[in-house]
Amino acid sequence: MTKRTGEDRLPGDLAPKELVERMIRVDHAGEYGAARIYEGQLAVLGRSPSAATIRHMREQEQAHLDTFSRMIVERRVRPTALQPVWHVAGFALGAATALMGEKAAMACTVAVEEVIDEHYREQAEKLGDDESGLRDTIERFRAEELEHRDIGYDHGAAETPGFELLRGAVKAGSRLAIWLSQRV
Amino acid sequence: MKTANDLTALRDRLLEASLPHVPFDGWSLEALRRGAADAGLGVDAVERAFPRGAVDAVAHFIDKADRDMLAALDGLDLPSLKIRERIALAVRTRLEQAAPHKEAVRKALAFTALPQHAGLAAKSLYRTVDSIWYAAGDTATDFNFYTKRALLAGVYSSTLLYWLEDRSEDSADSWAFLDRRIANVMQIPKLTGTLKSLATRLPNPMLLFKGPGRGRA
Repeated sequence: MTKRTGEDRLPGDLAPKELVERMIRVDHAGEYGAARIYEGQLAVLGRSPSAATIRHMREQEQAHLDTFSRMIVERRVRPTALQPVWHVAGFALGAATALMGEKAAMACTVAVEEVIDEHYREQAEKLGDDESGLRDTIERFRAEELEHRDIGYDHGAAETPGFELLRGAVKAGSRLAIWLSQRV
Repeated sequence: MKTANDLTALRDRLLEASLPHVPFDGWSLEALRRGAADAGLGVDAVERAFPRGAVDAVAHFIDKADRDMLAALDGLDLPSLKIRERIALAVRTRLEQAAPHKEAVRKALAFTALPQHAGLAAKSLYRTVDSIWYAAGDTATDFNFYTKRALLAGVYSSTLLYWLEDRSEDSADSWAFLDRRIANVMQIPKLTGTLKSLATRLPNPMLLFKGPGRGRA
């Protein structure tokens, strides 16, 4: 049996079209923010041993961002109006954690990518077979985000002093950014 | 089973039949009922097509104008034109298509100017300028998306008001007015460009964090 997007929605829930528009809007904003975080890290760690790794992750985020940018244009989805905020906040988060050291930068990556993993999994569950193209794209991106999380752990993210505290703070911030970007 | 397309077709048909009555009855249930009778639709057609009456009818009137404009522009060779020419052509196409119903447009404008219809006014203006930018092939996904639409909203609404009062042959004065408004807007990137080149002359604060021995080649 095929599943349709939004088939289990109740009166008062978002219409399937709005649901998909929100997903594209927030994913575009999220990939933009992620690319900015890595740019912020590179501004500080550009000459460190982990620069090549960060640059690789940045390039993958850029590819994701380009994909969602195309969808915004093709499907006439309004992009988030908060982009100037993510432009600054993403860079600041990346630069601030990088200034705390390479391991703290990796801890930031771990926290952000964990939230994105949850977020993409929820989206993929909501999408039906009528949006299988978008669902496959999201699943593919999710695999790459998980790869980034593992890179973070491999580079000693968990050894950061106060790792749980930092991770909790960055996760809370990322969830707030997701909530806002869906709506504004 | 009735589909969304059937409903749109019913709305289009009822709207088309009601338009001749709008100059006399305004955007009202009266005009819609007369339209339904003219089109040979049953008395229930009005409530099926526009459950909230005139508000829905005006919203559909504007929505149909957007769709008609997009359909007309689809047949033209827009990519060969400059962006400003595409925008001018789109606005012109839209107003020329509305020319037979100028009085209905005027009444719709008065209707949406009422405070209780402010939401409809904002939404439909957004849909219209968004359609124009879509037709022009806009690919902005950053904050420019909003500045472009806001600037065009100003150009479009001022041109619409001018066009309503324009008595010149083939509305030639309106098209000249439109070109002048677009020329005004074209001045803005020049201004912001100057500001941006000033901003690049400020020192980069990140250099402070590089520390001695690093960051200097």
